[in-house]
Amino acid sequence: MRVLEFNDVYRAYQRGSDVLRGITFSLEAGEVVGLLGKNGAGKTTLIRVAIGMIEAQKGSARVFGLDPRADALEVKRRVGYVSEDQVLPEFLSVGEVIRLHRGLFPTWDEGLERRLRERFALSPKSKIKTLSKGQARQVALLCAVAHRPELLLLDEPAGGLDPSARREFLETSIQLLNEAGTTILFSSHYMTDVERMASRIVMIHEGRLLLDNNLDDLREKFTLVMVPNTPEDRRARLRGAAGCLSVRDQGDALHAIFALEPERCRCVVEKDLGIQNAYCTPIALEDMFIELVGGRS
Amino acid sequence: MQLHINSGDELPIYRQIMRQIIDAVAAGRISPGEQLPSHRDLAEQLVIAPLTVKKAYDELERQGLISTQRGRGTFVRERVPAIEPAERRERLRDAAQRLLSQAALSGVSFDEVLTLLAEIQKGIER
Repeated sequence: MRVLEFNDVYRAYQRGSDVLRGITFSLEAGEVVGLLGKNGAGKTTLIRVAIGMIEAQKGSARVFGLDPRADALEVKRRVGYVSEDQVLPEFLSVGEVIRLHRGLFPTWDEGLERRLRERFALSPKSKIKTLSKGQARQVALLCAVAHRPELLLLDEPAGGLDPSARREFLETSIQLLNEAGTTILFSSHYMTDVERMASRIVMIHEGRLLLDNNLDDLREKFTLVMVPNTPEDRRARLRGAAGCLSVRDQGDALHAIFALEPERCRCVVEKDLGIQNAYCTPIALEDMFIELVGGRS
Repeated sequence: MQLHINSGDELPIYRQIMRQIIDAVAAGRISPGEQLPSHRDLAEQLVIAPLTVKKAYDELERQGLISTQRGRGTFVRERVPAIEPAERRERLRDAAQRLLSQAALSGVSFDEVLTLLAEIQKGIER
C-alpha cells in the first residue's frame, strides 16, 4: 500500500522562483526513507507539503490516498511530525503540552506515553522554557509518536542535538520501528544516522529529484572514478558514458560517479572509453553526497 | 555474540553483520546449533533498522549457514549442507574474483596475495 505519494509537486514562495520543481516519488508501507539534500534544496518544503502545512501549487501530495489539505484532520491524526525548528509553547509545562496532544488524538497510547516520559526522564511539571534543546526535542518526539502514527515525518529531527541525544533519538525510533513497522520519511545531514535507519535514499537538489535508490545498492553498485584530466579534456567522454551520473573537477583530476559496480565500471572506463589509469572505488554515502551535489551551483 | 557496526566501513551494514557472523562461526566464537538474537533484539542492540538485520539473516540462510525455524528463532546450522565439490569451488570463485580484482586495483601482486592467504590461514588454525 502506498502511504505517501508525491506527484510532480511544484511549490514557490515567490513567483518565478520555484523551491520544488516537479518532485515525484512514493513510500510503501513500512519503508524508511532518508531524504537528503543541501540546505535550501527543498526538503523542509516537501515535508510541509506532505503534512498539509502548505499546498502544492502544481501536482499533488497524497497521504494514505488522502489530500493533506482537504482531509487535514484525518491525515494529521494518522501522521506524526517532528521538525528542527518546531516551537512548543514556552509558558506551558511538559505535562500540559502532553495533555493537549492526548486530547487531540483518539488513538493516543498512554502506556507508550508513560514509557517515553520515563525513558527521557521528563518531569511533567517542568516549564518548556526551562528545557534544554535535547529535552524539548524529546517532548516533541513523544507528542509525535504516542498516538501510534502510521506515517512519521521527521525534518532534521536530530539537528542541533549532541551525539548522545542523537543516539537516544535514534534508539527510540528503532524501537518504535520494531514495534509497529511505521513508515518513515526523514531528512538529516547526519549520514551515519541515515545509514542506520534508512533502507532507501532520496536525494533532491534545487527542487529536483537527483537520486532515488536502495541504500545498499548505493554502497555496492555505484562507483567513484578518479582520472587525471590530461593530456586531453576527458569531461565530455565521461559525461557521455552509459551509467555516468556526474562529473566534476577536483584539482587536476576529474571525479565521476557511475551507477555500475566497481569492476564493471573499470572495464567500461578502460575498454569503452579508452581511459587508462582510472581509479575505481566504492563510495560512502557522505562522499556520494559531496560528489553529486557539492560541486553543483 | 558481540557484533559491532562501523559507520566508516566500506561495507554496507548488512554485509558487516554477515561478515562478523561468518567470522564468529569460523573462529568458534559461535557454535553450531547456537541460537542467534532475533531481528528485533539485534536491531535494538546495534541501533539499526530491523529490515537490515533481516536482510543479513536472509542472505546467510540462502548461503546455508543459518536456518530459521518458524516460531523458534534463528540458529547456526549443525552441519553446513553437503555441496558438490564442483559447486564448492564455484561458490568461492566469486569471492576469489573479488579478492584478485581488489588486489589488482590496489597494485598487490599475486604472490603477495598468496602470502597474505597463508598468513590468515595460520591465524585461523591457531
